Amino acid sequence: MSLTTSNLESHGDDDFVDVEPQGESDGKVDVEGRSPLRLAWARFRADKLSMISFYVTALFVIVAISAPILIKLGVLDPQTPDYTLIDYSTGGLPIGWGGGISWSHPLGVEPGIGRDVLSRLWLGATISLSIALSAAIITVIIGTVLGIIAGFSGGLVDSAIGRIIDLVLSFPSTLMLLALSGVVVDRMRDVGVPNGPNGAFVNGFYVVIVLAAFGWPPVARLIRGQVLSIREREFVDAAILMGASRSRIYFKEILPNLWAPLLVYFTLLMPTYVSAEAALSFLNVGIKNPTPTLGNVLNGALPYAYTDFVFFFVPAAVIAAIVISFNLLGDGARDALDPRAAR
Amino acid sequence: MGTNRKRLVAAAASMVVAVGLAGCGGGGSDSESNSGPSEGAQPERTEATKGGTLYSLEQAVTEHLDPQRVYVGRDISNLGRTVYRSWVTFPAGATTEEEGATPVPDLATDTGTPNEDASQWQFTLKDGPKWQDGQPITCEDFKYGMSRTFATDVITGGPNYILGYLDIPKDSDGSPAYKGPYTGEGQDLYDQAVTCDGNTITYRFNKPWPDFNLAIASLRAFDPYRQDQDQGDKSDLQIFSNGPYKLDGEWNEDTGGTFVRNDQWDGTEDTIRQANPDSIVFQIGIEAETVIDRLIADSGDDANAISTRNITPAQYPQITGDVEARATNIVSPFTNYLLPNFNRITNVKVREALRLATNRAAYSGALGGDKASVPAQSIVNPNVPGYEADSLYSEDGNPDTEGAKQALEESGETLPYPIKLTYPIGSEASDKAFAALKASYDEAGFETTLDGLDPSGPYYDTIQKPGSDSDLIWGGWGADWPSISTVIPPLFDSRINLTKNSNGQDYGNYKSDEVNSAIDAALVEPDIDTANGMWADVNQQLSDDVAYIALDNTKFYYLHGSNVENYVNSTSTSGYPDLGVISLKQ
Amino acid sequence: MFAYTIRRVITGILLLVVMSVVTFYLFYASSTTPERYACGPKCTAAQLETTKKSLGYDEPTYVQWGKFAKGVAVGRTFPDDPELRKAAPQLVQECPAPCLGFSTGYSAPVRSLIQDKLPVSFSLAIAAFVLWMVGGVALGITAALFKGRLLDRAIVGLSLVAFAFPTFFIGLLLLKFVSIRWGLIKLPAYTPLTENPWLWATGMILPAITLAVVYMAGYIRITRAFVLETMSEDYIRTARAKGLNQRTVIGKHTLRAVLTPLVTLSGLDLAGLLGGAIITEQVFNFNGVGKLSVTAIQRFDLPLIVGIVLLVATIVIVANIIVDLLYAVIDPRVRLG
Repeated sequence: MSLTTSNLESHGDDDFVDVEPQGESDGKVDVEGRSPLRLAWARFRADKLSMISFYVTALFVIVAISAPILIKLGVLDPQTPDYTLIDYSTGGLPIGWGGGISWSHPLGVEPGIGRDVLSRLWLGATISLSIALSAAIITVIIGTVLGIIAGFSGGLVDSAIGRIIDLVLSFPSTLMLLALSGVVVDRMRDVGVPNGPNGAFVNGFYVVIVLAAFGWPPVARLIRGQVLSIREREFVDAAILMGASRSRIYFKEILPNLWAPLLVYFTLLMPTYVSAEAALSFLNVGIKNPTPTLGNVLNGALPYAYTDFVFFFVPAAVIAAIVISFNLLGDGARDALDPRAAR
Repeated sequence: MGTNRKRLVAAAASMVVAVGLAGCGGGGSDSESNSGPSEGAQPERTEATKGGTLYSLEQAVTEHLDPQRVYVGRDISNLGRTVYRSWVTFPAGATTEEEGATPVPDLATDTGTPNEDASQWQFTLKDGPKWQDGQPITCEDFKYGMSRTFATDVITGGPNYILGYLDIPKDSDGSPAYKGPYTGEGQDLYDQAVTCDGNTITYRFNKPWPDFNLAIASLRAFDPYRQDQDQGDKSDLQIFSNGPYKLDGEWNEDTGGTFVRNDQWDGTEDTIRQANPDSIVFQIGIEAETVIDRLIADSGDDANAISTRNITPAQYPQITGDVEARATNIVSPFTNYLLPNFNRITNVKVREALRLATNRAAYSGALGGDKASVPAQSIVNPNVPGYEADSLYSEDGNPDTEGAKQALEESGETLPYPIKLTYPIGSEASDKAFAALKASYDEAGFETTLDGLDPSGPYYDTIQKPGSDSDLIWGGWGADWPSISTVIPPLFDSRINLTKNSNGQDYGNYKSDEVNSAIDAALVEPDIDTANGMWADVNQQLSDDVAYIALDNTKFYYLHGSNVENYVNSTSTSGYPDLGVISLKQ
Repeated sequence: MFAYTIRRVITGILLLVVMSVVTFYLFYASSTTPERYACGPKCTAAQLETTKKSLGYDEPTYVQWGKFAKGVAVGRTFPDDPELRKAAPQLVQECPAPCLGFSTGYSAPVRSLIQDKLPVSFSLAIAAFVLWMVGGVALGITAALFKGRLLDRAIVGLSLVAFAFPTFFIGLLLLKFVSIRWGLIKLPAYTPLTENPWLWATGMILPAITLAVVYMAGYIRITRAFVLETMSEDYIRTARAKGLNQRTVIGKHTLRAVLTPLVTLSGLDLAGLLGGAIITEQVFNFNGVGKLSVTAIQRFDLPLIVGIVLLVATIVIVANIIVDLLYAVIDPRVRLG
């Protein structure tokens, strides 16, 4: 199975194929001269589920940003062991109910070493979301640039890019992510990518790069389709007649018309990459302990299904909450931006 | 079992839901832990019944079944009780350290006759034992078997002590002039070193080897091999048996195989192996946790199952009541330690500070506590005869942080002193254990960078480079046979370890002429007690130099099915379940 | 149509050739010392050299690729170096065409290793496929019929929640509780279909559910959307106006319209799975291609990794061709483009 990317590919772009460019939205509501963006926002706000997902997502973003600050302030401490909280006679389970839940450790502590679970999850969310964000940005940039070039140039360039897309899509992505890690991480170290604590940086960098490297083709296809429909429009013709340069046409005239589908796609990429990071951790690829990510905190909790269910379940639930909220947000944004797709 | 330890770690690390270092950890019902050697409580023995199918559930995939290539402790023990016999072996079901370390005759008429300085050994073959095709085992089969070890391009993976000991001239690169039976190069040299006279074989060594028969009993490298069955590398997963069982069909590297009775084996002649079950099914490649979950559930065929996977710490709370009665907890033959890199940490006070600051209690605790691991007090495992606890190491394993701070201060180095601690990743438990060590070093005035590497990939590559920038390196070791001579020399003799490109097993690049010559003297000392006294002196020297920092002795915490009887974690099978005595309730 | 088919197949073959080149360069050229992994940690310098030669790693990557391609076409013999073959005849191994290389970890031809594991992965993929298709379509239609009601929300919501949890977590949850702790379903294990269909099915059920959960959410949503869309189309309204009852309308008209896009989509999803469900096989200890690939990666068994990558790619490319051809049959305009 692929790291759920296939779902995104298959379900995602089908839905997008007929998204209309927002430049000339349905004129009938436009009587009061409101911009399409404000219209979309109004529609978005009207949907309760979308708003909830918006607030939850915002909360996660705040969590992610605040972790380094809270650690600096000493509110969170993801690294310091506390052996006094551990009952060694049980194989290292935390003392007390629910995996050592207390006021100072609201989600308990890690078995065996007594590090605070909430702190590790909090920082883990920061790191996982940073990885997902970086990977999603790179994915969208590569896909957009190649998609615009393919769509606008046509002919040989278009089919060359098309073949590259076919090529990348034919690779079994999970297998490649796994198989390349040894080779590529070593090579990255050789060329001077900083190691970071216990290889955290170079491993995280690897995950970002390969996720993007195998994730861009659907974006490129989507953008190419959009460009094909836009380039026939008058304003592009006008730009060409006025002697605008190619790159100007690509990025100044066409790109602004693509932001809506890109935004939606971007929102849906985030949860895919958060899940991917977790799955890679399960397969021992990516950032290693002691630096926490949602994936490796969960991976460490897996053995405790019977004996410390809170510890076992919470990391997975956090991942699920992120995936759900981003997905609903993406759906809501799509529906709002393209009312025809609303169900 | 030096490399076994490596292999254990490598195997554990390679599993995705890893149990890793704690892969050698467990906990148990009766932990008489601190009494040292593994005379842990053994279940009572009942009259053995024949018949039934025993299941062996394992995680690691098979590396080798070829007797000259197998080097994984569990496989050495299992194969020796089921399909491979040798001149001598250890008695089945032994429970005391001494009994389990005393060879008894197997295919030989006695336990072997050394000459005066033990540089020659003679064994005489019993009349009667046959191969699985009915042909008698011959002295030539023994001679051929050992010769295969010299084909170092084909017969890889196994122990190769024999290359250094057998009296065969060396090439300029230090390798023996005999290249094994496949090329035949230097065959006449081998034929002079090992001779068969009727049923009697004579081994000639270039130096004394007083405990050669212990080596035969502990390893499989000296087992006989039938030349007409040898297909080189293709024989790696084949078994041509002379024991009570034989392989039924083929062995699958990922899923295992089934042993059935070998009708050419004579139970009246071989009194060591009881061979109670009619067949033994090896199911391999199962996640360790799942193995234990199944053994806890104890349903169906799993009631007839054993395993050498440790109960994982997360499962300890489930080991209660009748499940607890099926669990055994003993100190394993393995010791883990840290080696300061002598190319980098030249100041002995700094090394001393490291030793004092090492929180062995937290290290053991992170691995699962006293059922998984006990703080070590020497690099020698308590199961090895001649073991003495070193007074430098406290029994509880707590660090002396104040002492460490003071030693660091005396060292005159600028603080915090930066160190890079390189260790094999592989499990959550090991990650936690090293995080605990980091915390204790940082508290004492070091600034620790953890450097976890994959033991199946870059770990050994990195630490074996003499110019490595690691300051503190993890190592693990188990004696190949019950003698300190298989612990200290392979780890600290700089002459066999240090070369231009690699430091062998001496990851810390320790080099002491004094220690080297003391090793030479101890190795040739025929009297065991005198020899052990000499080893204690060598160990003292190592401690004075802080050549190593002992960490822990891992423990075995095994579980077996409710239908399994006469289950013994025998000292003669390195603490693994002894297939020579196990039987099933009928 | 014939010309189109030929054109598609040729493109597919070309794509595969390019893939194999790219794969070779990714693995063989970027790894500094592939023989180090093949030889193991205890390897001496001399052994390393021998290993390098016997695996043919001493040659430039394009030469290695040439040998690989030749092996696929006509077979080859290992070790590559004729001198080594002469020196150690007992090591020589034949690998008949189509030879995908020789696994260093298993000392066996890559093709036979993969062939052994394929039935497991195929079974798992098909079982999961049936589950997610049947489940996805049924639940999708149900949700559409109850649009906006509680049942609709429950189906869509729960499928999203199940999808949101990591696959391995769902798998472990099922394994640890449903199977081991509560004993509701026997321990998942693979039995060949030809040996015992009942054991095949029962041993497959938990892993198949785990896999199906990943895909089901998407199929429910698509089915639901399509049903809602088609129900509002004119011909359906006509059918209703004609007095056909709800069931006939859905069964005959809507379902047919929904199935076409679903089948093509699922064809590609299935193809991706046929090459091994890495995580699910890992969790349930199924010795399929997915688990084999994890082992190969752990041992850095380059020939085996490359072999599996190319096999999976072949399946995906073939599935793409089939889907394209199906499209062409349905919509003749495609053939021109």
